[in-house]
Amino acid sequence: MGLRSYVITRILLTIPTLLLLLTMVFLVMRVLPGDPVALHFEKKADPWQVESMRRQLGLDKPLLTQYAEYVFGLIDVNYFLAHGYPNLGKSMSNFDEVGGQIFSVFPATLELAIYSMIIASVTGILLGVAASKSYNSVLDQLIRGLGTVTYAVPVFFLGIVFQLIFGVYLHWLPTSLRIHPSVPPPATVTGLFTVDSILQGNVIAFFESVKALLLPSLTLGIVLSGIFVRLTRTNMLETLRLDFVTAAKARGLSEDTVTYGYALRNAFLPVLTMMGLQFAALLGGAVLTEKTFSWPGLGGYILDRISSRDYTAIQGAVTMFGLVVALVSLVVDLLYAYFDPRIRL
Amino acid sequence: MGKTELAIVVLVLIGIIVSSSTMYYTATTMNNMSTLTTDISTLTEDVSNLTSSVRDLATITALIAQSVGQFNQSLADLQARLAAIEASLAAKSKETIIVGTTDNVELTLDPAQAYDYFGWCILQQISGTLVSVMPNSTTGSDFVPDLATGWNYSSDLKTWDFTLREGVMFPSGVEFNATHVKYSFDRAIALIPNIPEGAPAGLGYDAIINRTEALSEHKVRFVLNFPFSAFLGIIACRASAIVDPEHAPIAQVNYTAGNAQASTPIAFVGPYFLSTWTRVGAKDIEIRLDANPYYWNATSGKPKIKHVIFRFYSDSSTLRLAVEAGDVDMAFRHISPTDALDLDQNANVNVWWGTGAFIQYLCFQEKRAPFDDARVRMAVAAALNRSAVCKTVFLDLSQPLYSIIPPGMLGHTEAFRKLGTANYTLTRNLLAQLGYNQTHKLTFDLWYESSGHYPMSAEQALLYKQAIEASGVITVTLKSADWSTYRANRNSEIMDAYVYGWYPDYVDPDDYSFLYWASWLHTNYSNATQVALYDQARATTNLTRRAELYAQIDNMAVQQCSVVPLYVSSAWAITKPSIKGIYLDITQDMRYWLIYFG
Repeated sequence: MGLRSYVITRILLTIPTLLLLLTMVFLVMRVLPGDPVALHFEKKADPWQVESMRRQLGLDKPLLTQYAEYVFGLIDVNYFLAHGYPNLGKSMSNFDEVGGQIFSVFPATLELAIYSMIIASVTGILLGVAASKSYNSVLDQLIRGLGTVTYAVPVFFLGIVFQLIFGVYLHWLPTSLRIHPSVPPPATVTGLFTVDSILQGNVIAFFESVKALLLPSLTLGIVLSGIFVRLTRTNMLETLRLDFVTAAKARGLSEDTVTYGYALRNAFLPVLTMMGLQFAALLGGAVLTEKTFSWPGLGGYILDRISSRDYTAIQGAVTMFGLVVALVSLVVDLLYAYFDPRIRL
Repeated sequence: MGKTELAIVVLVLIGIIVSSSTMYYTATTMNNMSTLTTDISTLTEDVSNLTSSVRDLATITALIAQSVGQFNQSLADLQARLAAIEASLAAKSKETIIVGTTDNVELTLDPAQAYDYFGWCILQQISGTLVSVMPNSTTGSDFVPDLATGWNYSSDLKTWDFTLREGVMFPSGVEFNATHVKYSFDRAIALIPNIPEGAPAGLGYDAIINRTEALSEHKVRFVLNFPFSAFLGIIACRASAIVDPEHAPIAQVNYTAGNAQASTPIAFVGPYFLSTWTRVGAKDIEIRLDANPYYWNATSGKPKIKHVIFRFYSDSSTLRLAVEAGDVDMAFRHISPTDALDLDQNANVNVWWGTGAFIQYLCFQEKRAPFDDARVRMAVAAALNRSAVCKTVFLDLSQPLYSIIPPGMLGHTEAFRKLGTANYTLTRNLLAQLGYNQTHKLTFDLWYESSGHYPMSAEQALLYKQAIEASGVITVTLKSADWSTYRANRNSEIMDAYVYGWYPDYVDPDDYSFLYWASWLHTNYSNATQVALYDQARATTNLTRRAELYAQIDNMAVQQCSVVPLYVSSAWAITKPSIKGIYLDITQDMRYWLIYFG
């Protein structure tokens, strides 16, 4: 199978996966005990008001109609083009578009996920390779120990330690939020503060948003790096023993070329899978990190909507998360095929 | 060769040698002389050059000296400019205060709907009411003119006339007048059926106000349905904020991204106007208030701080770190009691302590056993140990409450002291009458809210349980639910006993006393005598008489124990030491326009 056929097949396979996910989300939200509309009202609500809200949310319609509207709303291209986000229904708390709410908080999560993943993967892979090259040495033991410690340390604990050291005692970095409280955030273009501030030539906003990003992304990146250290080390150790590595060495290639050009490329595949999974999980919102750093992302949004019993928003968020996971899985599979031609066979 | 010939040869040789030597010497000397002359010439030239160079050097030195002088002057100028810039920045920094909070506008800034502390806090900064409560009031009833300059009421307390302040301008250039007052209250009442959760609905505007009349351009009259002595309290609360008809349709106004004016229907006649309100997914990201140039009291120098920026933190510990790191100038709501006491020892911050008006109380479900019997309710109430909770959980930053009306306020009593503290003798005696004893214990579920809507709920509940069970005749099962489920449980009346809380809408006993029988608490308790006493208190302005009536209500409440007061909170704010002008009085209001950098 050529790469193109593989890509098309893989994309087509994503569609039934998504449909199954959407159906499950839709059904689960409707079989949960309790009337979400009744829960919305605190004190006194006439039955006509409850009915009115149910009508407004489309919950008075037959289940199949609701399902059809939900699925077709989601793939409504005109709606997407008009609003810039998919139709995920309206929030029960204020009738705002759930898609709009999610796409407002998503850039914060995306920005944190990107920087954390860069720190985690670069640190993890480099340390993993170094450990594998000095197998059973003191350095190897140190790196393995570090990998275990970083993976075991709770993210909120490390976050608080960083906040205390770099924020409270040294006053180098802000303890929380996406930008220092005294600096106005850049106008929204992409929603990524670092990118938007560059686009607008706002140097102060750029530096302040990078400073604000450092602690949460370092915290999350360091915690996540542990798994990459161990995974890279294990796979590199196996790969370095293979014949093609010996052959490459016999041909007189430099050690770095053999390590990074030959061995790492092969050992990288399981790491890539893990990167994809971790990145998808991060895009769903790193709840603890967001909470620790008052980072206004998707994790906090979902948590807040759950505590408010905003069923439509939860349904939208879960759908969105499913879409992201499916998309990231697709990208990882395609990258996998690129790195390892055997996948396409 | 003879001796002569030899002598001649020798002499010739000597002559040759001598002459050769002489010639050599002469030639060498001449050569040296030539070199010397050249050298002297070069030296002369060098000396000349040197002289010239020295002259140049002097010029250069002079030039350098001149340049250094100029440089020094420039440096001095630059330093002066920098000092000016620093002074300007310092002055500017004193014009902006960054406030950190864990609060959040619950739904909207429409006075027809907003019914939460922080929503009202923002409304207070940006809107205007006819009257307001004087800062540092100890009773909450020291009303001072705001958009009204004076008021009077009929002897039957059913007709209230207000004289409006003249010259108050909306930012649109429209002058405030009586029609705006009438429109504001007519709109609030008209929206009650559509917004049953709004403040006007909760406060019963439709039941209280019969009609609002614009008597003249600057005179307005409220005709009430019944005598109501606490009417000024209603008029001073944020649900009575004047709206701008241009932006206030007879429909609920919700948050509109990127458009602060469209997000609130109020008339911006307060000290500040809302310049930015960034909100994502029902969570506030940034609220920025800027001084309102049209503020009617701007000539008095208010607001003292020109810009207020609110930043929103996920929890109290993160907020505490932001305060310690100096990220924010001020933290108000919610720093935990432990953190507040700890920060009180920190020289880099200042902790302001004040009176609280938030109370919590224990409710009993009376539609079924065991709490359908007043003796059971009283037995549980007698076993409570409020002091232990205040000391252990709130570190003495809350006070035990023995009346539903907080201390300092008209009508406060110590009525529930009659039941004692951990009075197990009374508990056992009462329960013994109903057949409960150490082998046949009374059992019930005690519910508390678990999602942080009320402070330290789990810790409180545990101590209530311990105190009650120490009687030896009661077994308590603790149960909890998040806020949404908790209030749903309350409505469906499935909780035996549950802890609830109350922030006042207006600081008057009228806004507390009714809690004993409030229908929305779903305790299924009603008492016509208490309601009649309450109505009598509403119908008189005689403070002594009102205090007597509320005391009677309290005394009856002790016998019935439908709702048992537990504690009243204190209030605190954390600021940088340079910040002054904080008033933490019984109203719970934070008046940002009075804050300044000292």
